[in-house]
Amino acid sequence: MSGASATLAAGARRSGASAAARRPAAYGAAALLGLLALWGIATAIPGFVPPRVLPSPLDVVLRFGSLIAEPFSGATLFGHALVSLQRWSLGVLAAIGLGLPLGVALAWLPPLRAIVTPAFELLRYIPPFAWVPIAVLWFGATTTTQAAIVFIAAFPACIINTQLAVSEVDSILVRAARTLGAGAATTLRRVVLPVAAPTVFTGLRIAFGNGWMALVGAELIVGKQGLGFLISQGQINDSAATILVGMTTIGVLGALIDLVLQRVQRLALPWKPSIVKPFE
Amino acid sequence: MARPLAVARWFVGAAPGADRTLPFWRREPSRAQWLAIAFASLAALLATWWALTRPDGVVSPLFLPPPSEVWDAFVRLLRRPYLGSTLGQHVGASLGIVIGGWLLAGAVGLPLGIAMGWWQKARWIAFPVFQILRPVPPLAWIPLAILWLGIGDSARIFVVFIAAIVPWVMNSMQAVYSIDGLLVRAAMTLGASDRQILTRVVCRTALPTLVAGARIALGNAWTTLVAAELLAATAGLGYIALNASRTLEIGILLVAMAIIGILGALFSIGMHVLTRLVAPWARAGRAA
Repeated sequence: MSGASATLAAGARRSGASAAARRPAAYGAAALLGLLALWGIATAIPGFVPPRVLPSPLDVVLRFGSLIAEPFSGATLFGHALVSLQRWSLGVLAAIGLGLPLGVALAWLPPLRAIVTPAFELLRYIPPFAWVPIAVLWFGATTTTQAAIVFIAAFPACIINTQLAVSEVDSILVRAARTLGAGAATTLRRVVLPVAAPTVFTGLRIAFGNGWMALVGAELIVGKQGLGFLISQGQINDSAATILVGMTTIGVLGALIDLVLQRVQRLALPWKPSIVKPFE
Repeated sequence: MARPLAVARWFVGAAPGADRTLPFWRREPSRAQWLAIAFASLAALLATWWALTRPDGVVSPLFLPPPSEVWDAFVRLLRRPYLGSTLGQHVGASLGIVIGGWLLAGAVGLPLGIAMGWWQKARWIAFPVFQILRPVPPLAWIPLAILWLGIGDSARIFVVFIAAIVPWVMNSMQAVYSIDGLLVRAAMTLGASDRQILTRVVCRTALPTLVAGARIALGNAWTTLVAAELLAATAGLGYIALNASRTLEIGILLVAMAIIGILGALFSIGMHVLTRLVAPWARAGRAA
């Protein structure tokens, strides 16, 4: 294996370990520090970049502190984040609860696939946010609306990847199990699901990310709390610092969610890489 | 003579991988069966919709209007301008911004991604910046875009640009980076210059992945534009949807959603066709 054919991910994983691999990290850190310095200098020159357009890094840090300490638009930063996370977990749980069994069923029972595919294909291309106006009409400006949008965003990734994972299971394994006298239920539980699990898990990671993204969009449009609401309030109050703090929090939480899932995946399913890359 | 026969066999023949020993619910239906089931299911769906929304039905038309009303709304939208523009102008406004932002992102992202894949140092410098920006959803840029640029076209183009540039850059980087070193060395041995290797060998080998990146970018751009139009616009399909929801014209809202979905599907199909045209040797990816 030459270095050129190693994947980027493997390169990134090794970067902490060896001394030779520390150079890219140094370059990256230099680039980020350079950008930060540029930002600081640009905002420090009076009249060059007005703080209304781009506040200085210090202002953003201070704003971060004040948002944690005192409520803004009805809640502190943590309050908004908690509300968002709650809506997100509701929608995502519903998507998993429905998507995983349905995905397995679709792969296991081909006639069912013929029944479901037309409706699924019709709805699949409507972006989750396009559902916001009608979700508001159906459920009002409630947590259900937000959770429904998260569900709509997360559900396709759950169901598509589960179906793909189960149908990619080598049919020789299934036939071997049958030959050895396993019934359909045993085959599913002991053979198909363990083999499919890594890909299913990757589907979950994509679903969680899509759901988080959609939630932010939904909260921008409707709602009285949450991180998306926070940044839209920042816009209304002409406070770029609030928006930047909100955006950072959204990004950090999104990255954390994915990081936790990666850890869980490595701990729970150490045996095989997935056939789907979580790359969108 | 052989052709109709092949078509007929395609139509009635058992699907590949069909296993006769399995019970019928585990068997892959033949294509004719498949089509029949799909049509029946679609018809059943329409019938249920119609039955539920009849005047004495269980669902109030404020929740879900009957199919006929949605059709009427569509005809009305076609005939008369809605919110100051005709339907064609609304669609044109959305399409213009999505294509503009997508192309702009390509013009920046494609060279940047290729450079990042080709030169190690460019990758070391630029990749961390993208790693930091990537977890922030493009939608979260909307308030900042409005604050910076107002609610005009430029704010929406900016947001679409942000949504589209990440797949452009990441896919072109991945494509160029993962090229078999053997090909490059072979070209070198045959006396190709650095520039020739980049244009003749690398970019061509990378083409399928590049086009895949363009497809994902277009999908992202479309999704994001709809959200941006819900927030700040004076024309466009998202704008229609939000206004129709405020004035409780659910028929129009559903028509807008349908057009958004159809255009999204057309983008996806169009990009698949484009992949076939520019890189016929590439196998189309399964996951959309």
